[in-house]
Formats: sequence, structure tokens, C-alpha cells
Amino acid sequence: MIPIEYFLTLGAILFGLGLFGVLSRRSAILILMAVELMLAGVSINFIAFASYLDTDAFSGLIFALFVITVAAAEVGLALGIVLRLFRERRTSNVDEASDMRW
Amino acid sequence: MLKRIPLPDQFDRIIIGGGITVGAIGVPLGIVLVTLVAFGVISAPEMVFFVAAIIVILGALGCVLLPNIVHAALSLTATLIGVAALYLLLMSEFLALVQVLVYGGGVVLLLLFGLMMTNAQDDPVVTDGSQKPFAFLLVSLLVGTFITLLLSGDWGNPTAHVVPFELFGERLFREFALPIIVVAVLLDVAITGALVNVHTATDDLPEESE
Repeated sequence: MIPIEYFLTLGAILFGLGLFGVLSRRSAILILMAVELMLAGVSINFIAFASYLDTDAFSGLIFALFVITVAAAEVGLALGIVLRLFRERRTSNVDEASDMRW
Repeated sequence: MLKRIPLPDQFDRIIIGGGITVGAIGVPLGIVLVTLVAFGVISAPEMVFFVAAIIVILGALGCVLLPNIVHAALSLTATLIGVAALYLLLMSEFLALVQVLVYGGGVVLLLLFGLMMTNAQDDPVVTDGSQKPFAFLLVSLLVGTFITLLLSGDWGNPTAHVVPFELFGERLFREFALPIIVVAVLLDVAITGALVNVHTATDDLPEESE
């Protein structure tokens, strides 16, 4: 059997890589992709805990399902915003859309 | 370096060179892993885990580091399919199916459509100082903390269990009925919001003559 630490470590690494992408990328769509990586890392942790430690209640599986659903909704909505931004400004670079930053 | 590979121009050199590199690394690695399994050092599920983990981590690295935006999207697809394989190893077939359907199909397709519609170029050239050193420092601190903590924990020696589809559905639609409804409303609001957001942008275009 695979030890649970393997999955948790992989989830942490995936989350870290996603965070790196969010912090260092400038294109809005690439930031969205990095957010997907972070969510995948969190889902791995949820499912590992559910199927290893919480086999009676398995709430982690249901949480992972909700994470996937909310991520799909988020991508749809965020791409709508990016599309709108591109129509108004001809750019998808987040540095050029910092009007609301204080 | 990839520019010197003698290939016809219509091939994408990054994709072909990347495929050759992955093959050149992957075949010896696969031989090593199979040998380790044959000598009983690691078990067969662990071998599958290592293969999936390598695909996931390389894909994630490609997704955050490749400058070309379409290559990054393809790397993201590889990562998400690898994550589905990990879900299978965690004995949750249903979530692996959902992962392939929703992410491998829907989300990546949506991202690629977004790329085409915004005519997005590659990641913008940074002129005001790269954030990569800062991001790398922060991420390495955070991930180092995570891994140190989880390796120092005492997890016992648990084994993964299969959750039957019937039990999963029963619990999902009985005890989590209210969150399901909330998520349904959320999806409705998200779709409506995206439509309204994109649609109003066309209002100021000149109307077609009748």
C-alpha cells in the first residue's frame, strides 16, 4: 500500500507550484491556470484524508466534488471578465488593469 | 538549442523537442522503476504513483514556467490527467471520472477558447522587475513548512478504502442536500453573470440595419 505521506507531499508541492504561478505570472489566463493547480493540490489532500483516515464518513470526497464544481464556475466567470477586459482595453495583462488598486 | 533540431518548419519545435526529451528521460526511468518492482523494493501501486507524480510535477512546472501560453495550457492538461490517475490510486473512481470529464474536457477547452478569443500573446514581458525570486522564496518557505510538518506527524499506518458509489450518492444527496442546492444556485449565478458580463459589451456596437 502507498503511505499517505506520499500523497500529502505531492499535494503540498502542487499547491506550492500553483502559488508560484499566481505570484509570478502577468497574463490573467495564466494566473487562472495556476489557480487550477492550487485547487488540484488541495483536492488531492482532501481525497487522501477521506480515503485513508475517514473511511466511514468520507466527507473529504464530497468536499473535493464541491471544489471541482466551484472551480468550474470560477473559470467560466473569470474568463467572462477577462474577455470583457480584452474588449475594453485590448489586453489581458493584469498589470494594465490595476485601476482599483489603492 | 531546440532551433537546431533539423525539422520541417510546420512542426512546433517546443512540442516535438519536449516529447523527445520526455521520452529520453522517461524510458530509462521506466526501466529503473520496473526493475525496482521486479526486485521487490517498491510495490506495483507505488510504481504507478511515482509515474503519475512525475507527470503531475513536470506538467505543473511546465504550466508555471513555459513562456508560450498554449504550451502552458497543454502542460496543465497533462497535470490534470495525472491528478485523475492519483484519484484512482486513492480508490475514488467517481472523482477520477469527474476530474477527466470536467477538467480534461471542460475547463481546458474553456481556457483554450479564452486564449483564442482574447488573442492572448505569451506571458507579457516584465519591465518593472520580475517577481520570480520573491515568489520562489515565499513558496519554498511555505512548502518546506508543509512538508516538514506532515512528515513529522504520526499518521499510523492507514490503508485506503473503496467508497461504493451507492453509499457516496446516498450521503451526498441526503446529508449534503442543502450544500448541493447552494452549489446549484452558485452555478446558475455564475453562468448568468458570465453571460451578462460578456453580452453587455456588445451593446455599444452599431446595430445591424434591418
